[in-house]
Amino acid sequence: MSGQRHATLVAAASLALTMTPMFGLFEGISWTFPILLTITVVAVTGSLVRAGGRGQGLQTLSMIAALLVLLTAAFGNGTAIVFVIPTPATFQEFAYLISVGVADVVTQAPPVAAEGGILFLTMAGVGIVAILHDMFVVGLRTPALSGLTLLTMYLVPVSVAPDATSWFWFILPAAAYLWVLGDDNLRRVSRFGHRFTGQGQLVGPRFPSPMASAARISAVVFITVTLMILAVIPANTSGLLDQVSNGVGGDGGDANGLGSLNPWAQLSGSLQRPDPVEVARLTTDDPSPRYLRMHIADQLSSDGFEPSDYADLEPLDSLDPAGGETFTAQVTNLGLSDEVVPVYGRPSSIEIDGDWGVEPNTDVIAADGTSLADVDSYSFTYSDPSPEAANLAREGTMDPSDPAWERNTDHPDVPELTDRVDTLMGEAGATTVHDKVLAVKDHLSSANGFTYSLDTIDAGNDEAILDFLDTKQGYCQQYAAAMAWMLREADVPARVAIGLSQGTKIDGEWSFSTSDFHAWVEVYYEDSGWVTYDPTPSGGVAGSVAFPWASEPTDTDEQPNPDETDEPTDEASSAAPDDQDPSANADPTDGVTQDAAPDSESGGFGFNPAWLALLLLAVPPFIPMLWRGAIRRSRLSPGRLSATTAWDEARDLARDYGAPLADSLTPRQASVKLAAAAPGAAPAAEALGSAMEAHRYSPRGADPAGLGDAVADLRTELDRGAEPTRRWRARLWPASLATWLVAWRESAADRLSGAQSRMGRTRRSNEHPNGTVTGRP
Amino acid sequence: MTFESSPPQQVPAPPLSSQEFKATAEAILTNVEWVIEGKSPTIRLALAVMIAEGHLLLEDVPGVGKTQLAKALARSVDCSVRRIQFTPDLLPSDVTGVSIFDPEKRDFVFKPGAIFGNLILGDEINRASPKTQAALLECMEERQVTVDGNTYRLRSPFMVIATQNPVEMEGTYPLPEAQRDRFTARLAIGYPDLNAELAMLDHRGEFNPLEALKPVCDGEMIVRMIATARAVHLAPELKRYAVELIGATRTNAQVRLGASPRATLQLLRCAKVLAAMDGRDFALPDDVQQLAVPVLAHRIIPTTETTMGGNDSASIVADILRHVPVVSQPGRY
Repeated sequence: MSGQRHATLVAAASLALTMTPMFGLFEGISWTFPILLTITVVAVTGSLVRAGGRGQGLQTLSMIAALLVLLTAAFGNGTAIVFVIPTPATFQEFAYLISVGVADVVTQAPPVAAEGGILFLTMAGVGIVAILHDMFVVGLRTPALSGLTLLTMYLVPVSVAPDATSWFWFILPAAAYLWVLGDDNLRRVSRFGHRFTGQGQLVGPRFPSPMASAARISAVVFITVTLMILAVIPANTSGLLDQVSNGVGGDGGDANGLGSLNPWAQLSGSLQRPDPVEVARLTTDDPSPRYLRMHIADQLSSDGFEPSDYADLEPLDSLDPAGGETFTAQVTNLGLSDEVVPVYGRPSSIEIDGDWGVEPNTDVIAADGTSLADVDSYSFTYSDPSPEAANLAREGTMDPSDPAWERNTDHPDVPELTDRVDTLMGEAGATTVHDKVLAVKDHLSSANGFTYSLDTIDAGNDEAILDFLDTKQGYCQQYAAAMAWMLREADVPARVAIGLSQGTKIDGEWSFSTSDFHAWVEVYYEDSGWVTYDPTPSGGVAGSVAFPWASEPTDTDEQPNPDETDEPTDEASSAAPDDQDPSANADPTDGVTQDAAPDSESGGFGFNPAWLALLLLAVPPFIPMLWRGAIRRSRLSPGRLSATTAWDEARDLARDYGAPLADSLTPRQASVKLAAAAPGAAPAAEALGSAMEAHRYSPRGADPAGLGDAVADLRTELDRGAEPTRRWRARLWPASLATWLVAWRESAADRLSGAQSRMGRTRRSNEHPNGTVTGRP
Repeated sequence: MTFESSPPQQVPAPPLSSQEFKATAEAILTNVEWVIEGKSPTIRLALAVMIAEGHLLLEDVPGVGKTQLAKALARSVDCSVRRIQFTPDLLPSDVTGVSIFDPEKRDFVFKPGAIFGNLILGDEINRASPKTQAALLECMEERQVTVDGNTYRLRSPFMVIATQNPVEMEGTYPLPEAQRDRFTARLAIGYPDLNAELAMLDHRGEFNPLEALKPVCDGEMIVRMIATARAVHLAPELKRYAVELIGATRTNAQVRLGASPRATLQLLRCAKVLAAMDGRDFALPDDVQQLAVPVLAHRIIPTTETTMGGNDSASIVADILRHVPVVSQPGRY
């Protein structure tokens, strides 16, 4: 196969590989035929014209003509002469198709049927890209530019249907690009004749080049970094988030989170806000308040948990004190406009403007034709009893004949989930309510691999809850829904509460922002009533609170174990719910954390793993600088400073600033070169050179005094005299490190080849007992 | 003239301080430069070869001052200069001396040849027959002459400055490589530059500066200088560098015959002298590098391909200098 035909084939094939992300864009696979046909027609035309020895201009024109003919034949609709020669009517037809296609693109959601205007646009677009791609790769021999065309092909489906395009599809285009580059390089090298390995052996034209390993390493690093970035950048993934909130209210698109929305949409919208806004302030005499309850979602269908419509409201007077210590809280409303009132624990009385009532089944304070938007502030008294874990362990469950039983245990029939819960309960040996609760909570713990993420992954299961249990990744909504559902499977009445987490304490006031929206679980115990649990990993929740009863009942008071915590702040957080060590939270008297993040920074950012990952990505570019600085400080430290270290540093500086000193230069010659590179530091360079000279060749050695200053002078002067680009490169990515790495790699390679040759000798001597080796080694 | 037969004379001369050494060397150089303008590097190397107890091969076209250099050097040092004009009919005994019968003493008396001087100027050495060349070269290495079973020690300092004309090829016997190896260094003087040539015209118009040259030191001083130079410190790192340089000439693909171990010795010996002339008591790779081409180039034989490619041995040595690292630090550079 001739060179150009091979290159054409590679170009066309790489483009076809880049087409794969479009699978998410179109229905079925029939669309691949016309697209592949387009690529083939363009490639064949280009190859034929090139084989005829025509120039690039004619090649491009021919490919455009071929594309036109193809489009005419496919979409001419009888307007063309002999089906293939376009007439003005054909172009009118094309214009019509374009307008139809554009309209379809705007109105339809992927996947769409590949026909009519959309297919025309796709074929024409792919054809134009194919022409450019062929031109870059084969005609102009600039395969690096083909990255642009391949990127275009990739970006179209990604930008049109980000949901339908998983990051996985990036691999094929990336591989295609590397293929194009590698193939072109191979052709380039082969043009010079035979290729040799680094050991001087003749190798075939398709054998990897001696530098292939370096290229492989950079390729792997490049792809890894790219995939990390793609994985880290928050994408609109589909999954539990969307599916659970589907059918609840239906208008979950408003990301503001402040309107009168369904609570799930409000929750997810609030948590995903890039810039949290403060929604409320609260003062209370409770030293460690827990969660502010707003909604109760106890209606479980295959769409997930939904709140009831709070229809039968009773007057606020019907609130009765539950006993225990009573606290008072005053709330200033800054942005809440819900139709429910956030309250702590069990409110005993409430002072609020407007018409409000208590929903008797859920104790939600709901609006009766009014909303919080009209309320500037309100106050309420409440009690918040802490049940003892030991007591809970002894308690039974709700009487199944209770009218509320049905409402709080009803769940869709998902046989696989039933199996899983049965298995889980069997393994845990859970019999009591508390056992079951702890089993489920432990199952969802980070010790079991569950992580907090606002991005949910669609693992392809029918039921969103199974997706979540498989991917083990989600946020409070998934955790709360999953725990409540699983408990219901285990015949434990459970429901999901939605509200605000503990918030942030600023100057004695509790501040709540949109990032404090949270969801948790309430479980019914026979005597204690509804008891709160928070299955979400505490690392993901800004103001999470530890519930002391959410642990195994223990007979002894265990000491808190501060080493087990991964909370970044004060010692109070050591009492945060730590699923890996339940006994750490066994002290029931101080079960509630203080403010987890006492500074005024909004906690919503600090815990987002995406930021952490971005930070990790941002650090590597500075590693060379830091490393180089460490080397320099080590060399110039008074304990280690000698003529040799100072000289090494001077040499490395020269290399960093683009004036490398050859090994064959004597110290004297090198210092002259240094002085030429940094005229202002000529005395310093001379001092360094003569010190090295004396150290190395004189019987008396050298005095390192003042060499540190000389190096500093040299560095200042080199830095001042350098071009800006060179200066920044020397500071951020010093070249001397690369040399160091190369030297290290070479020495490692030497060791390796030494080991290999030793192994090789052993093997050969095994094969030839007499020790002779015949023929070429 | 007087001479002594063996045992050899060993003058326990007190060494000079480095400043004295430097001053004396500068004085000799200034003196010689008065005669040969604008050639101070060459003169410096020639003096270094002298103090390193080596011999010098001057290879250049006629008329650039080969003989002038040798004479000026000899006059500056105030030692005896002998000149041998080599011709094809020159006999070995003309060089070494001959025993003739003295009728009065009724015995053979040794009449020393031209070799019994401090500075021997062998003009156009490649014109002599190989037999005569061999006689001279043997004296150069052994520093003694054996005639009729008697061994006669040569003087100290002793230096042969042989000149060779690379242009004339007819009727010459080019030195074989084994004998070229005995010359410590080969120097080419080269044409003077414009200013030097103008200055030369001015000077020589009135008188011959060579005649007016006054000696600035004597043979005794040279012997002390030789002793001083021998004491110059050679760092192990520098010895390794020199050995690697020489080794590189042996492994270089462009070279058919590399430099000998004798070359290593003489290279470092001259490097010591250059160091002392610079007022140092330790030698530097810079000294070695200055000497590499003069000391090594005439000892190596390039392959035929290299010669036909237009590269001479001097350019090969310069190339080797550019590639052999001065410091061997495994793992770093």
